[in-house]
Amino acid sequence: MHSILVQIQVVYALVLRETRTRFGQNRLGYLWALLEPVLLIATFALLYRILGRSVPDRLPIVPFLTTGFLPYLLFRETSARAMHAVEANRGLLFYPQVRPLDLILARTVLEIATNVLAFALILVTYMLYVGNVDVADPLQILLGLGLAAGLGSTLGLVLCAWGVFSSAVERIHGPLIRPLFWFSALMYPTGQLPLRYRNLLTYNPIVHCVELTRAGYFSGYRANHVGLAYPFVWILALGFLGLLLERIARRRLVLS
Amino acid sequence: MITLQQITKTYRTSHGTHVVLNKLSAEFPERRNVGIIGRNGAGKSTLMRLISGAELPDSGAVVRRGRVSWPVGFSGGFSGSLTGAENTRFVARIYGMPVDRVLTFAAEFSELGEYFDMPVKTYSSGMRARLAFALSMAVDFDVYLVDEITAVGDSQFQKKCRLAFDERRDRSTLIIVSHDMSTIRNYCDCCAVLRQGRLQFCDTIDEAQCLYES
Repeated sequence: MHSILVQIQVVYALVLRETRTRFGQNRLGYLWALLEPVLLIATFALLYRILGRSVPDRLPIVPFLTTGFLPYLLFRETSARAMHAVEANRGLLFYPQVRPLDLILARTVLEIATNVLAFALILVTYMLYVGNVDVADPLQILLGLGLAAGLGSTLGLVLCAWGVFSSAVERIHGPLIRPLFWFSALMYPTGQLPLRYRNLLTYNPIVHCVELTRAGYFSGYRANHVGLAYPFVWILALGFLGLLLERIARRRLVLS
Repeated sequence: MITLQQITKTYRTSHGTHVVLNKLSAEFPERRNVGIIGRNGAGKSTLMRLISGAELPDSGAVVRRGRVSWPVGFSGGFSGSLTGAENTRFVARIYGMPVDRVLTFAAEFSELGEYFDMPVKTYSSGMRARLAFALSMAVDFDVYLVDEITAVGDSQFQKKCRLAFDERRDRSTLIIVSHDMSTIRNYCDCCAVLRQGRLQFCDTIDEAQCLYES
């Protein structure tokens, strides 16, 4: 019990510290982190408008892209930040109660907070624009985002621990993650796809996070072919592997 | 307070495995300030990190009773881009101390003046040492692990450190590593020599000096 309290204390201190080191001394730094996904989504929405394209089922474009991009970005950013968590904060491991896992946890918490805030920001802006917004199940949106963060965090843990043994790991992250942009249902609903392609895509756990988030936003969205069990199994498997690697890497980690 | 049981620590380098500590066992006497002397590269800092728990041994165990500090030195533990005050807040939080009280104490004890609100990367090594020292003093530890730090800072600050340790002598003890005998003479009641991965305790500091210089 005591050690859990200490860990919460440590993670809380790390989150506060991380906001400082990452976003700098002024509050505009944090605003910029929030605006980044907003701008990305706005760009794509504009592109759709200019090209005169629309989403199947006549779904409104801004929420459609938001529910796709944000889980994906949360996964991508969390995995990248978690992968570098130890390397960037090696000096903090001097304090015995600060563990590598705390560093990863703190970065995950900060990513989730930023992402959820960006989601709310977009939603509120959109609401002011169109007048009324109907969200089917806000909790399910949080579930979709939570699963995406869980996948990012556990993948980051695996890569972070593995990175202690080989510096090549860092270089595989980009090539591993970047193609997922096209295969994560960001710009198309998988329910509309031919069964063959849909089955292939559902091997990607991010697709489940995205479609769950969408089903949480649009009532009646077709998402029977996805579920939380599949990404959850991924999280368990990656988490298990990550913790195992961390146990081995822990003794190899040189502080100075 | 602290017992080391059969501790082995190796580091892997590009030239193969380097054994730093080899099945080291030791029991640190209670209520005595202990100095550990050894040459550069003998494994003093490694030993400190193992005692603090920041690093883990390959095999063996470290048994700690009471609150043991982090290795107080002038290298690790600070982020250069954060100010002294921000680093202080972080340490206060991870040790569950009231942040305001620690800030006041550290600002006063470190005598950093306006530098307290400047990024640590602008500090000289003496200033870093002063901040590290002030921080460790703000948290009440039973055992202070001090890594070479007392050699830096001007004589006035050194005097202040002496006084601070004398004051809490009945509450806490010190473990100091150094390659400088006079530092150890200044602070410690007994001394151990670290060499070839072994730790040899001596009853008197003179005895340790003989052993060290032999």
